[in-house]
Amino acid sequence: MEDLDLPQMKREVESLQYQLAINRVSSITVTELVKWIEGCVCDDPFLNPELMRANPWVEKGKCVIL
Amino acid sequence: MGEMEELRKEADNLKDQITEARKVVQDTTLQEAVAGTTLVGRVQLKTRKTLRGHLAKIYAMHWGTDTNCSKLCVSASQDGKLIVWDTLTTNKVNAIPLKSSWVMTCAYAPSGNMVACGGLDNMCSIYNLKGKDGNVKVMRELAAHTGYLSCCRFLNDSEIITSSGDCTCILWDIETGTEKTIFAGHLGDCMSLAVSPDFKMFISGACDFTAKLWDIREATCRQTFSGHESDINAIGFFPNGNAVITGSDDATCKLYDLRADQELITYQDSGIMCGVTSLAASLSGRLLLAGYDDFNVNIWDMLKAERVGVLAGHDNRVSCIGVSSDGMACCTGSWDSFLKIWN
Repeated sequence: MEDLDLPQMKREVESLQYQLAINRVSSITVTELVKWIEGCVCDDPFLNPELMRANPWVEKGKCVIL
Repeated sequence: MGEMEELRKEADNLKDQITEARKVVQDTTLQEAVAGTTLVGRVQLKTRKTLRGHLAKIYAMHWGTDTNCSKLCVSASQDGKLIVWDTLTTNKVNAIPLKSSWVMTCAYAPSGNMVACGGLDNMCSIYNLKGKDGNVKVMRELAAHTGYLSCCRFLNDSEIITSSGDCTCILWDIETGTEKTIFAGHLGDCMSLAVSPDFKMFISGACDFTAKLWDIREATCRQTFSGHESDINAIGFFPNGNAVITGSDDATCKLYDLRADQELITYQDSGIMCGVTSLAASLSGRLLLAGYDDFNVNIWDMLKAERVGVLAGHDNRVSCIGVSSDGMACCTGSWDSFLKIWN
């Protein structure tokens, strides 16, 4: 903060006023976040081995004689 | 001197009020909400491909998102090249020589038509991958930053956001090559940025130890998140856009809830003492993959804040990491000059 000049300091104060005024939702949002994650886990290839059965990065099949 | 003192007092007062406002809405903590959740089982990802070709440290990588390039990624190395890789075959789709080899960041446009990069040249260079004659050429050189380019991300084929060591971020009009909006407010070098899934906001992490959420069209800083004790090197949006993940030189990662404007949890371990260089979330957001200076990637259960896996395989610092848009693979890039694909 010591390095700011006057115009920058004024902008910092304005920005803080704006940031204070934003709408804060109660952190029931935390429970929603947890529910969202738990709902998506079955679609997450890193957590659901079923989805990784068809893994395009793994060589399939045996060697082919050219 | 008097006016400066008053403004300083007002700023401190406003910061206290913001802290109070955050306390008021804190009804529950993440720890309470996941008390009954079981820890995810050990996650073991294997190296499926190693992308060889760069001749020096890799500083950045970015996956393609469009369905035509969801298995492609672009990487930037201080050997002065941008390489677009087909990660399935390990073939190089494009090897683009750069004017300046001091590159620090790269990005793939959502359309797959362009890539961008920049670094100590203070510029963001845009390359057209779909030129008529098949050659990849510089389309635009975006110059206005007075410091190094630390990160860049496309919004679409005509707009890109950059972050810089000059403490600002800029939204550019690629057509005209000019600045549309300058986002100033950070008090230290901006190290990293990420765009929200709905493309309306972006977040920046800086050497002033804070992360800021910016409204792209309103051109304002909506929220500032503190808590880190050192430079924030890496930042990302949680997959649903409602939370922000940061990684810092203080050896921790943090999760911040955007709607409640709070820090939710810190991912730390007494055994980890080196800085976080990069991070990416898995598709569901349940896993956080973070690259560290000690050459490893740690995999964290984001809800329980415990380590559930490690990706060990690089011989030098992991400088960048990304999860593909379908969540099926993770790519790591390292100072050892290799990229690895894991799943």
